[in-house]
Amino acid sequence: MGIQSNVEVQTEWGIVSARQAGRNLAKEAGFSSVDQARIATAISELARNIYLYANNGEIIIEFLENENVSPPRRGIKITARDEGPGIDNIRNAMEDGYTTSGGLGAGLPGVKRLMDEFDIDSRSGVGTEITAIKWLR
Amino acid sequence: MQPSIIQMIHNQRHYIIDNWLEEINTVQTETVGNNVPKEMDDETNRKFIEMIIDTLEYEQREAKGKLRGFVERLIYSGWPLSYFTRGMQSFRSVLLETMSSGEGVNSKRIFETFYEIETWVDGIVNQIADEYSGSWENTIQLQRHALNELSAPLIPVFEKISVMPLVGTIDTERAKLIMENVLEGIIEHRSHVVLIDITGVPVVDTMVAHHIIQAAEAIRLVGAECILVGIRPEIAQTIVNLGIDLGKLQTKSTLQQGIEAGLQMTQRKIVKCNTESASSVVIGG
Amino acid sequence: MRIPILKLHKYLLISVQVELDDQTALQFQEDLLNKIHQEGSLGVVIDLTSVEMIDSYIAKVLGDVVDMSNLMGAKVVLTGIQPAVAITLIDMGIMLHEVPTALDLEQGLEKLQQELED
Repeated sequence: MGIQSNVEVQTEWGIVSARQAGRNLAKEAGFSSVDQARIATAISELARNIYLYANNGEIIIEFLENENVSPPRRGIKITARDEGPGIDNIRNAMEDGYTTSGGLGAGLPGVKRLMDEFDIDSRSGVGTEITAIKWLR
Repeated sequence: MQPSIIQMIHNQRHYIIDNWLEEINTVQTETVGNNVPKEMDDETNRKFIEMIIDTLEYEQREAKGKLRGFVERLIYSGWPLSYFTRGMQSFRSVLLETMSSGEGVNSKRIFETFYEIETWVDGIVNQIADEYSGSWENTIQLQRHALNELSAPLIPVFEKISVMPLVGTIDTERAKLIMENVLEGIIEHRSHVVLIDITGVPVVDTMVAHHIIQAAEAIRLVGAECILVGIRPEIAQTIVNLGIDLGKLQTKSTLQQGIEAGLQMTQRKIVKCNTESASSVVIGG
Repeated sequence: MRIPILKLHKYLLISVQVELDDQTALQFQEDLLNKIHQEGSLGVVIDLTSVEMIDSYIAKVLGDVVDMSNLMGAKVVLTGIQPAVAITLIDMGIMLHEVPTALDLEQGLEKLQQELED
């Protein structure tokens, strides 16, 4: 709660520091080694998208705590925000194997499967904001 | 609550209790059934109603504590939630009836009294419902935990060969846990071949097949090979009828055949010893 | 950063001990192909025991390295992929279907020998 990490993604090094920050926070929150890897990988994919398509943006990683439900839920939320060109066709971007960069096309659909909750908000010419949450089991 | 109402309840205490006991007796058979002896019923009923009325004396926190203790005991001995809700409904109607038949009450007064009693009874019903849902959630959690413990660890049967027996229904949550167990086990036991035994899996639908294929792929990635064994005739039929493609996954109908295939893949076989005791077997390489 | 490539007879051995960022991965791809060409190697074992995360980009670079090495006549075996890494790859839908794997460096070498004998 209140603890969060903001990482600017402008260079490839931003990708590395974002996923390291994510792994550290996931470890602290008590996630298993498999979930740590899932979170770090999801961050890496999101950060790479910023680097590849928007040049400039940020990754915010924060602890979540929902005490209104019983038992209380804790987790980690990743927000990837950029002011890039936006995603023209979200349906395509969420399809396995679809790529405009020559990659594997596993990025966004992969992130959705790695995390528990996934939300994407993108406007052409304005930017993209993707949020993804992983709950502690 | 207004002291005058509390006073009124106390004055009519015996009348209220007797009336309520009569009412609850008629609903009792529907809710509790014949699980509890009659004497225990009556005793519990009396304790319950007296406790409810007594809570008027206590501070709110203390009253809640008393109620919780009582309800928890009844939950534990298996009394249904409907006993409490029906009981409180009857209690409310008995109370209201008693209040309105009192001498010299004007309509404004009655309205206030109704309102206060409604609030009081609702509070108690809410608390009881909360206690119940809390205990149900606990039970569900415990059962989920117990189910996860059913996901057996990877069992080494020979050097380099391990078996993962699957029992029961495989949902996504369990499939994830099983996959983690298998992979960690492979590293720990240095397994080269893993036999996934689905003899104990009642139904293999597309979802279960998907989980098994994913596990097989992950097993290959960490550097071992996977054979699916325990495929009963009806499972083979559903797999084909559903058009499930198991891809390159090796399959065998029995665990025994699987072990033989595993030995072959690791360049070994079981040979009979001709010398001395003829019944013993050794693994030759 | 450069990943060291060791030569053992006709084989090349690589143990990746650093976090694979994009630049390092690409540099490694180039170094390995050059080394295969130089030494005329028949087989390569890439050990990933210390790698904690493989995202889709790194997976693609690794898959490409395998394909490229195969084109140059060298078989590649990936070893030591950690359970957590394997699970994330599967979650992402990345199967690395055509790539041979083994538990560790030793098993990887054995596998290469077997495949080259066949």
